Amino acid sequence: MTYEPLPFDHRPDPVLGAALRRALDPGDHAAFVARVLARVDDARAAVGSWDAVLARWARVGVAAAGLIALGAGYLIGRAGATGGAVGAGGPSVAEALLAPRAQPPEVEVVLASVFER
Amino acid sequence: MPSSGGARGKTLMKPDSPPQPRDQAARIPQQDEHALVARALAGDRAAFGALVERYAGVIRRVARAVLGDPDDADDAAQDALLSALVKLQQYDPRRPFGPWLLRIVANAATDRRRRRKVRRAGPLDPGLVAGGTRPDTAAERRVLSERLRQALAELPERRRIAVVLFDVEGYSHAEIATVLGIPEGTVRSEVFHARRRLRVLLADWQEER
Repeated sequence: MTYEPLPFDHRPDPVLGAALRRALDPGDHAAFVARVLARVDDARAAVGSWDAVLARWARVGVAAAGLIALGAGYLIGRAGATGGAVGAGGPSVAEALLAPRAQPPEVEVVLASVFER
Repeated sequence: MPSSGGARGKTLMKPDSPPQPRDQAARIPQQDEHALVARALAGDRAAFGALVERYAGVIRRVARAVLGDPDDADDAAQDALLSALVKLQQYDPRRPFGPWLLRIVANAATDRRRRRKVRRAGPLDPGLVAGGTRPDTAAERRVLSERLRQALAELPERRRIAVVLFDVEGYSHAEIATVLGIPEGTVRSEVFHARRRLRVLLADWQEER
């Protein structure tokens, strides 16, 4: 009798499976399980400590982001207010250049358009 | 979950020992498994212990197939189990637990192998491949096991995992594809090539029986 499995057999090979199982069997199953379970608390503690570190940094990050947002909001609001006052006082450089006028544009406006480039 | 066994292998002779029963993991109903995972996630140590108990065998064998050295394999298996514990909240309970866990194990073993730069086993001694005696005694079985481990070590890593999960653990091609992150057709190919290599050894033993 010979061992002649089909090469494309789609089912597990019991002979090869049993031989490989014996070859790879590590033994001492209970000791391994006990060893893993003894480390469970350490693993959870490590995760907990990382969570604590990340949470601490997250709180600092949120506070910093809030301060930055407040500062940016203040500056944008202030700039808007200033821009609004200027806009109310007269046309912008682009408007002064584009709008048809009876008089030629003032020298300051032409210079300002050059400097803005 | 591993697929059910049933009549397997077109062999003309019986194996030298009856097919080994599948691990307990193979018999865990999926609902029970999900319940255990949920309890473990909630901090139930006993539930995690039950999962470890049921999957330790397959995990250790897969790790040993990748790493060769049993101590190294147990270290990798332990790391993988603890890593799985802290990643449990990432597990999707709609999917089977076994392939998810085994993917972590395969990655852990592969990473360890790369880190430690474990030497690749040398070419298989031709004297070991052919002309073996019958594995009638425990000593002879140990020799056969050693030959198989050497032959396994010569295979590409993915091929080793595929053949162990398929022929030893009874996982389906689709489940192994999930574990390895490769197409199912590639798994079939890997199993085929691994078998072709390993069966040479077995045939030499079996023909003399």
